[in-house]
Amino acid sequence: MRSSVSYILSHAPGESVMSHPDYAQHAQHHACLLVLVKGIGGMLKNFNKLWERIQKVNNIKVTDSSGQVRDIWVRYVRDYPVENNDWGDFQTHRRLLGLITLSKFTNQVELNEVCRVHESLKVKYSNTLYDSRAFMFGPVSNMKKPEQEPETYSYEEEKVSKEGSSLGDKYSLPSEQADSLSSSESFPRSTSSSASFPVQEENFTTPSNFKTHAMFYGENDPVPDLEQNVADLINSLFWVVESKRLERSREKLEKVSLLLAPFEKKDFVGLDMESRNNKKRCMGRVTKNLADLTLQSGLVAESLSLYHNSAEILKSVNDWLWLAAAKEGLCAASAILLYPNLRNPTPLQRNASLQESSPNKTKPLSLFQPNIDPFRKYKATSSPLRSSKNSSPINPPSELTPSSSDSIETSSRQSETDNADSESIASSSDIEYQSQKSFYVSDHSSIPRQPPSQINNQYLLNGEEIAEKYRKAIIHYSKYQNAGIIETEACFKAARIAVEQNNSLHASSFLQNVIFINLTLSEQEKIQRFDTLAELYKEIGFLRKAAFCQRLAATRQVSPNNPNPDWQRCYYLMLHSFPGHRLSLDPNYVIQHQVGWPALQIQLLQELVVAARRMGHPALATRHMTFLLQTMWPHLSRQEHRDLAIQLQALSAQCEGGPVPLVLETGEVIPPANLTHVPHCSWFSPRPLPPPRAPTLVKCKTQTGPFIFTPIHFGSLERKTKKDEGRMEYLWVEDDICEVQMKLTNPLPFELKVSNMRLLTSGVVFESIPETIILPPDSPTTVNLHGTPKEVGELQILGYSTHTLGVKSNCRLKNMPMPNKFPASFTIEVIPSLPTITIETTVAPSGSVSMSSLENIGSTTNISLHNGESTECTMKITNTSNVPIEYLDIAIQSNMDSQLQSKVFQFSNEEIQAQLPIPPNETATVVMKLYGEADFLDLGGVGGENLFPNSLTSNYPSRVGSPVPNAQTSLPTQSSNPQTSLSSGLMVNRTSGSFRSTNSHTTSWSAPISVMPPSRGRQIETQVLIRYSGGAGKELHCRQSSLQINLELLPSVSITHWDVLPAEIPTQLYLVLDVTNLTSEEMEFHYAPSKHILIESKESCRVPVPLDRCPFSATPPKQLDDDTIDSKSTTTGTSTNSLELMCSEHITNNIDLRWHLQHSGIGGRASVRGITLSQAMMDIVRMSPLNWEVSVNKRVIAPQQELTCAAGECVSLGVCVRNHLPRALRRLCLSVQLYQDYNNGALSYRLDNRVAAAGNNKVVLPTLAESAKAYHECTVVFLTPGEYKIDIQCSTTEPVLEDTAILKETDHQSLIQPCAGEVSHVWRFIPPVAISVTD
Amino acid sequence: MAVCVAVIGKDNSPLYIGGIGNDSGSDNELSRQWLVHTALDALEERLTTTGNGAAGANANAARTDMRDLYLGLLYSTDTHKIYGYVTNTRIKLVLVTHSTSPSGSNIRDAEVRAALRRLHALYADAVCNPFHLPGDPINSQKFDKQVKNLMLNNV
Repeated sequence: MRSSVSYILSHAPGESVMSHPDYAQHAQHHACLLVLVKGIGGMLKNFNKLWERIQKVNNIKVTDSSGQVRDIWVRYVRDYPVENNDWGDFQTHRRLLGLITLSKFTNQVELNEVCRVHESLKVKYSNTLYDSRAFMFGPVSNMKKPEQEPETYSYEEEKVSKEGSSLGDKYSLPSEQADSLSSSESFPRSTSSSASFPVQEENFTTPSNFKTHAMFYGENDPVPDLEQNVADLINSLFWVVESKRLERSREKLEKVSLLLAPFEKKDFVGLDMESRNNKKRCMGRVTKNLADLTLQSGLVAESLSLYHNSAEILKSVNDWLWLAAAKEGLCAASAILLYPNLRNPTPLQRNASLQESSPNKTKPLSLFQPNIDPFRKYKATSSPLRSSKNSSPINPPSELTPSSSDSIETSSRQSETDNADSESIASSSDIEYQSQKSFYVSDHSSIPRQPPSQINNQYLLNGEEIAEKYRKAIIHYSKYQNAGIIETEACFKAARIAVEQNNSLHASSFLQNVIFINLTLSEQEKIQRFDTLAELYKEIGFLRKAAFCQRLAATRQVSPNNPNPDWQRCYYLMLHSFPGHRLSLDPNYVIQHQVGWPALQIQLLQELVVAARRMGHPALATRHMTFLLQTMWPHLSRQEHRDLAIQLQALSAQCEGGPVPLVLETGEVIPPANLTHVPHCSWFSPRPLPPPRAPTLVKCKTQTGPFIFTPIHFGSLERKTKKDEGRMEYLWVEDDICEVQMKLTNPLPFELKVSNMRLLTSGVVFESIPETIILPPDSPTTVNLHGTPKEVGELQILGYSTHTLGVKSNCRLKNMPMPNKFPASFTIEVIPSLPTITIETTVAPSGSVSMSSLENIGSTTNISLHNGESTECTMKITNTSNVPIEYLDIAIQSNMDSQLQSKVFQFSNEEIQAQLPIPPNETATVVMKLYGEADFLDLGGVGGENLFPNSLTSNYPSRVGSPVPNAQTSLPTQSSNPQTSLSSGLMVNRTSGSFRSTNSHTTSWSAPISVMPPSRGRQIETQVLIRYSGGAGKELHCRQSSLQINLELLPSVSITHWDVLPAEIPTQLYLVLDVTNLTSEEMEFHYAPSKHILIESKESCRVPVPLDRCPFSATPPKQLDDDTIDSKSTTTGTSTNSLELMCSEHITNNIDLRWHLQHSGIGGRASVRGITLSQAMMDIVRMSPLNWEVSVNKRVIAPQQELTCAAGECVSLGVCVRNHLPRALRRLCLSVQLYQDYNNGALSYRLDNRVAAAGNNKVVLPTLAESAKAYHECTVVFLTPGEYKIDIQCSTTEPVLEDTAILKETDHQSLIQPCAGEVSHVWRFIPPVAISVTD
Repeated sequence: MAVCVAVIGKDNSPLYIGGIGNDSGSDNELSRQWLVHTALDALEERLTTTGNGAAGANANAARTDMRDLYLGLLYSTDTHKIYGYVTNTRIKLVLVTHSTSPSGSNIRDAEVRAALRRLHALYADAVCNPFHLPGDPINSQKFDKQVKNLMLNNV
């Protein structure tokens, strides 16, 4: 766009170079009257308000002399350099035409000063000023207008000349207006008539040289007629301009003088002014001047042709500067007609003069609400023409999706329709505008707008042409170095039109051109240039360009060339360039939308930190540094991490960073930046309470189904689990310390101190305990954070807070950096507080084990007991909480089956319940009895061929008649199937335990101990579960403490073998036990009330224990039935078993075995529980159902009685059998058999030549009625001397083989026949009768 | 002589920036990034407007396909000229040259166009790597070398 022949006509920097560019200019300002509004004197409180009100009066309608309505526009500025005024001939809109002062005074002196300043301002702009107003605000309201001299203007000579020269014109003016011009004595009639000026208390007088139309108000007066007065001023200005226009239009073109731009003055010295070229030049310039005036006085359409004409003329004489001005004018006029909404007041921004542009003026950043797309906003505040652009030019981050071609198409279509609609939109906005303006127009008669036909002016340029013409104009301007400012302004104006045209590329090319214009500007103006560039770039959506310009402006602010660096403005400029760098002030937004150029962002942020620091706002510096570390973490190298972290530390030393939003003076809010990378958290999870403090449900949950586990998963059905991610299954307890575990890593290469780590929670009140840790570099460390919930309800854990590198951060889980996906919060239910206890256990009698458990977890009590020993264990339960214990339940779990367990551990539940409730800090005592329950019978070698391994007979020859089956033929006991009875008996014993264990749900051990071999020590692990509760939540939850008791059972005695012997008295028997002392001490073994024996360590002893025989009546009749009638059936197992059980129980209950260790004084009991008995033994144990009375030689023999007789002597043997059963016995076979016992286990029954018997040695009794007696007698003669024994037995046979005839007839039955094979039970007379036969 | 070459993803994040020249003064990496970054505005605007240029709605699609990938000069500064190129997948290739070549002759448009075409080919080769994830920065050494070569020799 630059002219290739730059500066051809330019000179060295001239003296009157316009050096103050007005970057805020718009094309429509060409048609405006320039009015300076100035506050003088003391600062007015409501100055800004008044300024705004004045600005609203920017358009009035005036009916001119021909009855046409003129639209007059005004531009108000707050400051105007006089030098720019000098260009007033070149472009008339640069002339300052009016002056309004708003002044405050409190006394006469100040009033004088104010008046002086006003007058001096008038003098300053005397060349161009047409009229002025002074609004004076005095100390009291409703001030009277002071005396005042008539207003005079310094341009009077001009006025006079004007009056003189164009008197005729003046007459055409309405008289009223003419008056106002000539003398302001009568000036605003409307005001003087409408506004009342009451009597003034103090008489202020304006100085004599103050000749301005002044209005006086109290400082706080509403100033109702402000708009009216301003409108009056404009009205008067218009008429001056109009008169000037008319004057100009009637000038003779041949005679006009040459109009000059300020720097041209020297150029034409000595030139022939009369040349044809120069004439044309003069004509062209005057025409251009006229066009300017025409445009200003509201005749836009007419100005078009004038501009065109002047351009034609000037082109022919190559007067490029003025040609450019003419073209620009044409463009401006066209733009005003084409885009009327350009003039629509959007006050502060369009019309505000540049000089008051402070940071305050700039738009607030939309970034602070990250939910609004920050990159979108800049388009939103635009005129209706531009509104369609919202979708197209920039891709906001949300639209980064790949809809490339689509978006192009739609946007293209949109803009097409836009172009088509622009006409209608314009007209509609006109209407709107009129209604807005109606207030100001109300004074004047309402007039229709310019007819639309006027728009179809032949010279009217369309949008494309405007841009083209402007381009040419700028090229022309660029040929003059001195016109640099004009060129710059033209660029901005052209860019603004391009913005209005929605043509960003044009706009950007115009803006780009600004950069190339080489101007000698003050640093401040350069900054303003960049600022305005940025502003316009923003408007066309070139956010990056805007950001670039802002950053340039910022660096200029503090460049070394700048005499007075302004770090604050630098800071704000940087801050406002955030959107262009795709940065947001909210770190989370930046992290989530990782777009933009990290290298540039890092650079900007670092500069921002410096600016903030130099600005003297260390808090901001810290904040931005934190932000930099947090958001740019992935893009920084390790070295940079380290450096920045150290910088941050240094910064935060001045001002600590905290997680609170910072509010800038401009009202912008800098949201907190939290360091979640330092330290890096890779694991975060709340922990359940430790087992002893974890609450459990008082009542077990009812099982919903029979299945505990299913391998089948229906993925689609498992939505429930997804939903409450972060909801914890366990409970926390009010007032109880809870724990969250996290894993932290220090990514920095130095040791990092993290202090004051707490948990961030919501929901119920939670008291977090601060934690300080020091993290070594690069090694994950597990950290536990603790806290106490103080209320009941739901607790959400949102994250944690840290204080590291001098920055406090609230690290929320939802904002955690990506690789670890945490749920947004963890939700935990907090239940009412529950009591806590400590348990102290003492083992009473021995006192050997006393263990106090303070923290009642895993406390273990070790007790060793000898088998059969008992002791007491005292548990002291102390309530250590503030909640009374109202529920206490003790259960025992062990690796024993429950039956055994109940024998080992005994406690009274009632006693426990009686002690409840336990108030805080009180103690309850629970006494538990421990008994070393054991099976004293050593069943070590069970199995195999040896059926009765423990019976004494297998090892020891017995003195007594033994049922040892070594003479099978003669022993009918084989039919009783001892194998079955024994094995089944054992089976019950063995299997019962394990069977029960499957039932018992309390036992968790896999192989419970049920049978305890007595010879070895056993370890019993027992857990005493104490469930307790109290307080508000006692109905639902309780706590469970467990106390481990390791019980060691030491062997004491064992009974290795046993047998039963008949006692001397038939009602008694001896239980003969082989007792082994398994201890290492000497033992005193009490086995009968008055009998004891000392057993050496590891020694074995045989003791006979006298016992009563098991009474018959104790047995239920049913069992007898089984015994007698069904004895032959194969299912005798159970019946025999029950019988055996009965016998063994009888023995167990009646035996009282005690042992006492002499040395250590420990004593205990032993029992023979589970003793097994063979059939033969049982016969001994049980009372016989038959009562025997055996008599020898008519004398009844006593038990154990020694009988002697001589060989050859006839001995009469009488056997009397009485039935004690409650019913009759049938088919009894009573036999008497003699034999010799060699006492070496061999029995000889072959006594044919030694004994002679007379009478039946076997009789069959068909029936023996209840309580009936049967007597049988036979005679025996012993032929040789020796020891003889008589076996007397009675057997019953199966009734199947009933041979009643035989039974009835024969008393003398054959020996074998009736009994053989069918013997089902045998009763013997015990002990056998022994007779020693002597010579 | 090309100073800098940049490959920019469709979300306008940089995929590759390669520059030659000393890393001091105004020619450093950062200033090059500023140059390319600020060129993106013009580039995007250019993209939307070229799409709009098509007159008929049905011709539009055809035009988008057929449109020249080379966008021409995006903007120029006192020292540099920035050229743009957009692939059909909206990957932007930006080439920065000195505004005046050392020899004094102006850089011709056709040369830049050819260089950018070659760059496009190189880019296509680079992303053909099955281990490259589209949208990730390109850190292939081969690509880097080839691009540096291109900058030195051809423009």
